[in-house]
Amino acid sequence: MSATVQDENGLVAFFRWVYAGIDRTIFMGLKFTFPGRFVSPLGFLGMLTFVVFIILGITGALLMLWYEPELDRAWDSVQNINNTIPFGFHIRNIHYHASNAMVMLALLHLYYQYFSGRYKIRNEIIWVTGVIIGVLTILEAFTGYDIIFSERAELAISIAASLTNSIPILGPQMRDAFFGGGFHDFVLRFYAFHVFFLPIALLGLMVVHFPRFLVFDVPMVMAITGAIMITGGVFPVDLGTKFVPTSPPGITVPEWYLTGLYAFLRTQYDKFITGVAWPGLLIFTLMIMPFIDRYRKFSWKDRPLVTAIGITSIAQIMVTTYWGFYIDPNIQKSLLERLVIDPIFFYSVMLLLVPLSFGFTYMMITLAKNSEASAKLQPKKPAAKSSINIPVNWIYVVFVALLAFQIYLNIAAYYAVLNGMKNFSLFIVGIIMLVFAGMFHIYRHGKAMAKAPPPPPPAKPIGPPAGAKPLPTAPRSGPATPPTTPAKPLSPPPTQKSTSASATQTSTGPASSAVPGSSPTDRSE
Amino acid sequence: MTQQGPPKWGRKVSRRDFLKLMAAAGTIVTFIPFIDWGKFLPNPTGKVSAKAKVELPDGSQANVKTFPVNHSESVIYPKTNDPVLNKESFRLWQFIRLPTELGGNANDVSAFRMYSMVCLHLWCLWKYWPDPGRKRGECPCHGSMYDPLTGKAFAGPASLQSPPSNVLPRLDLEIDTDGNVWILPPNWSPNGNGVVGFGRFLGGASQV
Repeated sequence: MSATVQDENGLVAFFRWVYAGIDRTIFMGLKFTFPGRFVSPLGFLGMLTFVVFIILGITGALLMLWYEPELDRAWDSVQNINNTIPFGFHIRNIHYHASNAMVMLALLHLYYQYFSGRYKIRNEIIWVTGVIIGVLTILEAFTGYDIIFSERAELAISIAASLTNSIPILGPQMRDAFFGGGFHDFVLRFYAFHVFFLPIALLGLMVVHFPRFLVFDVPMVMAITGAIMITGGVFPVDLGTKFVPTSPPGITVPEWYLTGLYAFLRTQYDKFITGVAWPGLLIFTLMIMPFIDRYRKFSWKDRPLVTAIGITSIAQIMVTTYWGFYIDPNIQKSLLERLVIDPIFFYSVMLLLVPLSFGFTYMMITLAKNSEASAKLQPKKPAAKSSINIPVNWIYVVFVALLAFQIYLNIAAYYAVLNGMKNFSLFIVGIIMLVFAGMFHIYRHGKAMAKAPPPPPPAKPIGPPAGAKPLPTAPRSGPATPPTTPAKPLSPPPTQKSTSASATQTSTGPASSAVPGSSPTDRSE
Repeated sequence: MTQQGPPKWGRKVSRRDFLKLMAAAGTIVTFIPFIDWGKFLPNPTGKVSAKAKVELPDGSQANVKTFPVNHSESVIYPKTNDPVLNKESFRLWQFIRLPTELGGNANDVSAFRMYSMVCLHLWCLWKYWPDPGRKRGECPCHGSMYDPLTGKAFAGPASLQSPPSNVLPRLDLEIDTDGNVWILPPNWSPNGNGVVGFGRFLGGASQV
């Protein structure tokens, strides 16, 4: 690259030029924040979900190189990926566990937005698209494990097809049109849905769903990635047994995000009601919640009915999910007795959960209000800040130690691969990711320390951004600032620490809205 | 015209409204041909509009004079030229000649039954067992059992499923003057011949 002669740092100039050019793109409408210190991940669970989606896209694209969506080859090709292709085991495990992580993060994201009240007041579109994205995410994960064509996949495909068939009037035609005429079509089409139709729909909806304020926290992203890999190393996903239609399969249950639905189906009631109408009702209720929630306030403590409905839904989801998994271990009984759930028992437990959840919510709100009242009586303590206060020199020591640890881990991962210990190497790579997360955290901590003036200022309105609460004046300084310069604004760190902080943050509306451009609703995702 | 209301008959449509109407009609007319393109989606090999032979595994056509009583064979229907597709469970059918006590000695179509081999529970492949004391369809996976006379599940998990998922899809047969057995064009709906892997309402329109 022999670009500029007079500028000795041509590469930097080039990056500056590119960054300035981005000014004309849609990305300038988004405000990316790279937090300068630890921020509770609850506020940016959506971004974490998106990052996991990207991980899934990358690993999934790689898996496409080896997977064969054909009736009699699908399972064998997955086995080939898992056992023969170098690092196929790693890629497949990351893909599988990332899919679980994405569903889990999306659920947490949903409930956090719900209880913190951020989902209403001008965020309705974001909420409704979010619910649709959530449904598509589950379908995406569902079609993914279907195309392995193991026994569990076959169970899932047969349930999907029979639920579609059970739709009144047009059901069989819809099944024919969307899933095709038999196993061959099912595998091929579920594959098409999995790798193209659903992801493209997800991406399109995400464009609508993204708020303008986004938080990208590198350590948390790396920690999530590491956690996915560590889970893959400790609990490597099995291949399942190839589906052979003439031999009895083992007892399988669907993936955890669908066992709740499976519990309904196991009551052997009408398939349309149990398998289509109930989940549809749940999704519809979720969608219209922000329009039902007419409370003026945001905190869960001030919205008792809405909180109670949320708690009820969590309780019911947990009970049905467990129930879907549970199969009577007594093998003396017939399989049928073990599999079928008594509908009267099942539905009465679900009904019983409603008053229990409402009572629980009432108790929690009372307790929270009491503790709030008693906290007001006591002299105000400065907010406990659990920052690491290590001297600057020690930061370098820790940094070098972490680097050395990473080198050691790299060697260990290499040897683990050589010795065929695939899951151990995946585990170690996960640890490397976590160590990187720690390193990055130490790095930004050290950077903040370096910029901080020696005496801790009590409250300076115009100070370096390293302090705790300076105003983010810099974001408006212009897009030409490269992202790496230290002048890059660091967001005002939200002070919430624990789970109860979600409430304090939203209830102290005036306090946080004193910071321009960052009302509680802004910092979501 | 102080009150806004529906336009009365005889009122002149403004030029602008007329144009809008034309544009809307034009848009609809433009996209109408694509409705039919929806036929791209379902698999066309499932549609059979002509009679088909009951082709036994040895390649011969089933004949009422030669096919033994209380016996079954698996038949591929609709048969394609693709060996992978022909292996497909959804194309496998049990062609049964009923045992004597159920009328298998008759030399007409009432002696025969043809049911989808895909078990209605979880899509394993059941088959007919002619042994004395059994004489029923049995699924190897979870033990669903089917009545050869009607195709209705009478035991096992499939029998607990609500209709139509407790009765096997069934093909209608015909016997020509030479005694050859033919499959009549099916109507793939729960009220007709049933949907493979899903079931059939007993007493539907096309049942003999």
